[in-house]
Amino acid sequence: MRMICTRAIAAAVLSAAALGGAFAQDVPAGYPANYADLVKQAKSEGKLVIYTSTDGAQAKGLLDAFAAKYPGIAIEYNDLGTNGVYNRVISEAAANQTGADIIWSSAMDLQMALATDGYTDTYVTAETKSLPSWATYKDTLFATTVEPIGIIYNTKALPDGVPKTRPELIKWLGDNKDKLKGKVATFDPEKSGSGFLHHTNDARQRKDFWDLAKAFGADAGRTYSSTGAMKETVVSGENLLAFNAIGSYAFLWIKESPNLGLAFGDDYTAAFSRVAAIAKGAPHPAAAKLFIDFMLSKPGQEALAAAGLPSVRTDVEKGFNLTTLNQRVGGNLKPIALDEGLLFYMQPQNRVEFFKQWKASLSGS
Amino acid sequence: MAMQVDNSAATAPGALADDGLRPAPRLRRRLDAAPFRIGVIATLAVCVLGPVGLIVYQSFLNGPFFSARSRLSLDAYAYVLSDPSFYQALGTTVLFAAGMVAVAVPLGGVLAFLLTRTDIRARKWLEILVLMPMFISSIVLAFGYTVSVGPSGFVAMFFRETFGFVPWNIYSLGGMIVIAGLSHVPHVYLYVSSAMRNLPSDLEEAARCSGAGIWRVSLDVTLPMVLPALVFAAALNILLGFETFGIPLVLGDPNGIMVLTTYIYKLTTLFGVPTYQLMAVVAMVLVLLTLPLVYFQRRLLRHSRRFAALGGKGGRSTPLKLGRGGQLIALSIIGLWLFVSVVLPIGGITLRAFVNAWGLGINLFDHFTFANFANLYSVPQLFRGIVNTVVLAVVGGALAVVIYLLIGLAGHRNTGMSNTVLDYIVLLPRALPGLIVGLAFFWVFLFVPLLTPLRPTLVSLFVAYAVVGLSYGLRLLQGTLIQVGPELEEAARTTGATIGRTWRDVVIPIIRPGVVGAWALIMIIFLREYATGVYLMGAGTEVIGSLMVSLLQTGAMDTIAALAFISIALTAGGLALALRLGARVHD
Repeated sequence: MRMICTRAIAAAVLSAAALGGAFAQDVPAGYPANYADLVKQAKSEGKLVIYTSTDGAQAKGLLDAFAAKYPGIAIEYNDLGTNGVYNRVISEAAANQTGADIIWSSAMDLQMALATDGYTDTYVTAETKSLPSWATYKDTLFATTVEPIGIIYNTKALPDGVPKTRPELIKWLGDNKDKLKGKVATFDPEKSGSGFLHHTNDARQRKDFWDLAKAFGADAGRTYSSTGAMKETVVSGENLLAFNAIGSYAFLWIKESPNLGLAFGDDYTAAFSRVAAIAKGAPHPAAAKLFIDFMLSKPGQEALAAAGLPSVRTDVEKGFNLTTLNQRVGGNLKPIALDEGLLFYMQPQNRVEFFKQWKASLSGS
Repeated sequence: MAMQVDNSAATAPGALADDGLRPAPRLRRRLDAAPFRIGVIATLAVCVLGPVGLIVYQSFLNGPFFSARSRLSLDAYAYVLSDPSFYQALGTTVLFAAGMVAVAVPLGGVLAFLLTRTDIRARKWLEILVLMPMFISSIVLAFGYTVSVGPSGFVAMFFRETFGFVPWNIYSLGGMIVIAGLSHVPHVYLYVSSAMRNLPSDLEEAARCSGAGIWRVSLDVTLPMVLPALVFAAALNILLGFETFGIPLVLGDPNGIMVLTTYIYKLTTLFGVPTYQLMAVVAMVLVLLTLPLVYFQRRLLRHSRRFAALGGKGGRSTPLKLGRGGQLIALSIIGLWLFVSVVLPIGGITLRAFVNAWGLGINLFDHFTFANFANLYSVPQLFRGIVNTVVLAVVGGALAVVIYLLIGLAGHRNTGMSNTVLDYIVLLPRALPGLIVGLAFFWVFLFVPLLTPLRPTLVSLFVAYAVVGLSYGLRLLQGTLIQVGPELEEAARTTGATIGRTWRDVVIPIIRPGVVGAWALIMIIFLREYATGVYLMGAGTEVIGSLMVSLLQTGAMDTIAALAFISIALTAGGLALALRLGARVHD
C-alpha cells in the first residue's frame, strides 16, 4: 500500500510537470529530449497495427485519443481473441511477415510465453516510473489495466448478497446445496484461457482454492467460456451466481441491470491485466513506441478507464484507478504480477495435473 | 459417346476457345470438353488439396509445421486415440449427426413436397419463412433459443406459471438434436424443393387419376423421383452434424456435453498454446468418417440417368389439389414448425437486441433500448464488418456460383475417373470444421509467396468461403443439371453445336432458376458463416459471423444480439430479392 502511495505522489508530480510542459510540442514532460524525432518518424511511418483481444467498443476511446494526439497515424485494429492473437503472431513470425506492431492481449500467460520465446521487443518507456513494479516485465511487457475478478449474482434470488470472504463462500456453497444445486457458474478452465488464468492464479495464491472447487462440484455447478455468457444466465435467473467472473465488465452491467449484483472478496480479490508488447520486427516500430507510451500515460489510461477498464496508475481521475479500485473491492486487491510465475502452468505436466485435480474436484471425488 | 469425342479433343489444343471463353475461331470443329474438364478439376484440386494436404502433413508432426523444431511423429495420433474424452466426443457426435438427420430430412422433404407440389395457400410467404433458420449462424440460433425456451426464457416461464413445470431441457443432447435438426430443415428443403420444382406433374397426375391419395402419390411417385436430392441432403446433413460448432458450444458446454468440434476447441486451451497437430488429427478423423459416406452416396446414385425428368417433352407442372382438410393439416404442420424453429429463436434474438436485461422478475419494458445498435455505427470494425459481409455474400456469392457452375459443367455427363476424383475433392472441405479450413487457408495465404499480398484483402476470405460452400453449391447445381434430359443436349450436338455452345444455349437457359436459387443459398451460407473467418479476418476484412465469435470470447452479448439482428434483417432482404428474381425467371 505504501508503495502505491509513493507512486501516487510521483505520478502527481509527473502529471503536474506534464501540465507545465504542455507547450513543448508533442514532447511530454519526463520524456527524452529527442522524443520529437520519434514522433516525426512515427508520422512518416503513418500506420500502426494492433493485434488484440479487446473489443473495439472498449478500445475506441483510447484509439480516438491517440489519433487526436498524433494525427496522420492510421490505426489498424485487429480484434482476434486471445488464441487468435497468439496464433497469428507466431505464424507470421515463422513466415517472416510480421504484421503486428502492438500485441495487446488479456492472456497474461500467453503474452509471457511470447516474450520469453523472443517474439517481442524491448522498449524503455518513461511511463514505467508511474506504474507499480509488478506491472512491467523487463521493459517488454506492460500491464495496461487492472481488472478485478469477482462474483456476479442475481439480486432478486439472493437479496442478502453473497459471502464476503473465501472461507465463508466455501461454507455457504456447502450449506445451501438445495437452493444452489445446478445454479452456480464459473469459467471453464478447459475451454477459456481467461478462466484458466483466473483459476490457476487462485490455485497458486490460495490454499483453499481446491476446497472452493469441491464445493462448486458438490453443487453441480456449471461452467462457461466467457463472463458475458455467465452474466446472461445470472441476469435471467438461470444461475444464481457466478464466481471468478471479470469484474470490470460487471461494473458496467450492474448499471443497466438492477437485478445483477457484484461482489468482491474482502479478504482476497485477484485482478488480471491486459498486457501490451511491441512485436519483434514490427513494421512500424516508432508508432508502436508512441502507442506504448500513450496507452500507459495519464490521458491514455483515462481513456481506458472511462471505457470501464480500470487504470494501473494511481493518478487517473476517470473510472477506477489502482487506488480507488482497491477501495472498491474491500482493500485486498491482489493483481496478478507480470513475472515468470505465469509460465508455471504453461508447462504441460503442471497443466495436466491441474486439470486432473479440477475434474476430480468437480466430480466430487 | 464420350470415348469418341475424347479422341477429337486430344487433337485440338485450343478447345477452350469454343467454350466461349475466347472469340470462336473461324474453323468450326466438334470439340469435347476434356481440356476444360481437366483444367477445372486440376484447378479445384490445387485449391482444395493444398490446404487439406497441409492439415494431413500437420497431423503427422509433433509441433506446428512452420516450427524448425517439429519432427515427423505419430505422437498426436497416439494422444488423441488414447484420450477417453475423444471417444466420448466421437460417440456424442455420431448420435448428434444421426439424430439431426432423422429430424431434418423427413421434415424438409415434407415441406418441400407441400410447397412445390401442392396448391398450398400463402406459398410465396411460406417459401421465405421456411428458409429463415438458415439466416442465423447456429451460435446465435442457439443463443436465441436460450432467451425463448431456456430455463429462464419467456416461453419457459410462461409454461412454469401456467402448468407449474417446464417439460423440456434444451441443455441436453436431446434438446441439442431437436434444435439442430429443426434448424437444418431448410438445407434439406432447398435441395429437395429445387429437384421437385422441376418435376413434370404428368406422373403424379396419372397416379391421382388412377385413384391414389395424395400421401400415396407423394410416397410412391414423388419420393422416388427426388431420391437423389434426399440422399444428397441426408449425406450433407450428416457432414454438417459432424461439423456443427455453435449449438454444442452454447447448449452443450455448460453441462459438459462435448462433440468433436468443441473437443478441438478444448484441445487449444488444454495445452495453453494452439496444438495444431492435435487439431489436425481430429480433422483427419472427421475426413476418414466422411469418405465412406461419399462412397456410399456414389454407389446409390450410380444410375443417375434414371432421375432425368426434365426432358424435351416439356411437361408443365400442375400442383396437386389438397382440398380444405388437406390445406388445414398442411398449414398446421408448417405453422407449428415455423413457430418452433423461426418464431422462438428469432423472437429471442430480436427481443435480446432491444433490451439490456431479461429473465426472471424483469419487466422488459423497463429495459427497452436502442443502445445495443449505437455501437455498430460508432465502432468502425463493427460497421465495416456489416459492409464486408454484404459484399462477400452478394458479390462473392454470385462469383462462387459462377465457379460452381463451371465445375458442375466439368462434371456434367462425365462418368470417367476424373468425375470420381471430383466427387471426393468436393466433399473433402465439407468434412472439415470451418475453423480448421479457415486456419489452413490462413497458412496458405501466409506461406505461399505469390498469395501473400491477398491475405489482408477480402479475396482470401472469398477463396476460403468458396471452398467451404463448394459442396452445397455444387450439389445444388448438379441436382438441377442431372435433370436435364440428355436428348436435349444430344439434339444440339447432332445439329453441329459444340459442347460449349450446347451448354451455353441449351443447358444453362434450362437450369437458370436453379442457378438463381443456388445464388440465394450461397449468399445465405456466406452471410451466416462464422467459423471460417475467425483466423483469416483482420482489420479491414471483418465479417459479422467471425466478429460475433471474437465478441463471444469477451461475452459482449448486447453487441452480438444487435449484430445477429442486423444479419437476420440483411438476409431476409437479400432472400426476398433473390426469390423475386428467381420467381420471374421461373415463369
